[in-house]
Amino acid sequence: MRRPTSGFWLVLALFLLWEVSARTGMVDSPNWPPFSQVLAALARDTLSGEIPLLVGSTLARMFAGLAAGTVVGVAVGLLFGASRLATRVLGPTVELVRPIPIPAIIPPLVLFLGLDNGMKITIAAVTAFFPVLTNTAQGLRAVEADQLAMARTFGVPAWRRLFLVTLPAILPYVMAGLRVALALALVTTVVAEMIAGEQGVGHYLVLMQFAGRAEEMYAAVLVLALLGYALNRGFLWLERRLIGWFFATGRDG
Amino acid sequence: MNEITRRAALGATLALPLAAPALKAQGLTRLRVSVIPVLDVAPLHAAIAQGYFREEGLEIDTSTTAGGATGLPGVVAGQFRIAFTNTVSALLGVREGLDFRFVAAAVRSQPNPPDTMAILVRKGSGITNGKGLEGKRVASNTRNNIVWLRGMAWIEKTGGDWRKVNAVEVPFPQMADALAGGQIDAGLFSEPFVTAALQTHGDKLERIGWFIQETAPNSSVAHYVAMKEDAERNPEIFERFARALAKGTDWVNARLGQPELLELISGFSRVPVARLKDCAFTVYVKQITEAEIAEVIATMTKFGLGGRYPAPDQLIFRTAKA
Repeated sequence: MRRPTSGFWLVLALFLLWEVSARTGMVDSPNWPPFSQVLAALARDTLSGEIPLLVGSTLARMFAGLAAGTVVGVAVGLLFGASRLATRVLGPTVELVRPIPIPAIIPPLVLFLGLDNGMKITIAAVTAFFPVLTNTAQGLRAVEADQLAMARTFGVPAWRRLFLVTLPAILPYVMAGLRVALALALVTTVVAEMIAGEQGVGHYLVLMQFAGRAEEMYAAVLVLALLGYALNRGFLWLERRLIGWFFATGRDG
Repeated sequence: MNEITRRAALGATLALPLAAPALKAQGLTRLRVSVIPVLDVAPLHAAIAQGYFREEGLEIDTSTTAGGATGLPGVVAGQFRIAFTNTVSALLGVREGLDFRFVAAAVRSQPNPPDTMAILVRKGSGITNGKGLEGKRVASNTRNNIVWLRGMAWIEKTGGDWRKVNAVEVPFPQMADALAGGQIDAGLFSEPFVTAALQTHGDKLERIGWFIQETAPNSSVAHYVAMKEDAERNPEIFERFARALAKGTDWVNARLGQPELLELISGFSRVPVARLKDCAFTVYVKQITEAEIAEVIATMTKFGLGGRYPAPDQLIFRTAKA
């Protein structure tokens, strides 16, 4: 086993500072419970099955949205690459919509899609769509023209060129977009849960806040921190397995 | 009887009790109701728990929104059939042309203290009335709702000019910290946050008034609303809803202050029972009077929320009338 790094010690020190600041009254508020009590609340609601269930439902919504957003993002990106007309027609709209902070469109989306899975999955999908789209477009520009020309010379039909040359070549770029989308999708899914409906970690967090149960509220925050960290680590692992060749060539995504 | 038929018969016998509730459930009308996790919706949860809605052929699907105000917009958008909302917000919607109707009664303020809403200040600040709050920062959870309106009325009644008060928005969970920390000079609190603030910041904060009870005892606080069109097209659904809810109200009123009620409230709000024990409750009612709606409209008009309102008689659907 590797020795803990200095970064690990800093995290421990911060948790210790949290505990001490709450116990000694440096921060005197019921909304700042000692870290140990937060851990106790986390353990309690994890063992009762409540938190695992909430985490599962939040992740399910997030991944469903991610999958949908990625598929559509890659498809539209390919369309942009294939057709100048599509770029000219759709480009300005995409550029105009892209900078809108996703949480800002949650209330109007409630009007059209309701409060449940449909709305929250859409939110995650829209979040994933834009980074995937822009990275796909960027990746297409980087596909080596020689490779495509060679495939054409060998008489490889267009649709096979897409699957054998283009898609593998842009995969590293799509993955880079996906990594950004993953972090953002967790944020927007939880925000959507906080605003509307009775689902997931986001709702639990707000409910506990309003119930005056700060321990449980911070337990939810801790869960989200761990979740974000684990998702990123998991993604890095997946990336190395899928596109290790890309990094082996000395480039980075 | 051969083996196969015997098995089939056995299977059918076993399946029947399982199928029966499913068949019954099919006959239930599903109603989506927007609620807030506060003490005021105890009768609704009681009626669900006691099966009163089921007896009326209704299945209630509550959607709790603690923070955001998705209730009324959700009713307009058809996401909810019914929303629990404070009277002022509902009336403001009506003023803006949204056809809300009060379909069932929820709560009124207490005739005598203690009441569920209280105004708190820092100890030693010397502020005891509305006069002392002129030029100061007074927090309500939202502007232009019942909390804000009655808070302004209290300031006016106790000698202050509400226009000279700097009204700010602070969510209930953060109000005690904001007040103790000096970011605001007074907070318009609602239970269970009154009790929580006094329990945890009792050395720093004090109550200087029950702002609803002192300005408008027995007044309208919050009710259930639906769209007029829906209510008129499906009156029997709202009749069933109101009947079951009224039974829930009776259940709650018969158990005021008892552990059974506190357990129920703790179950949906997640507020610990130990804290609920010290909370003041509102008055749970079964009917809405024209007089109470007229009083709210009059007070709103006095505090800058006037406009063209329909007659109170038109705003109360028959299921909520006395």
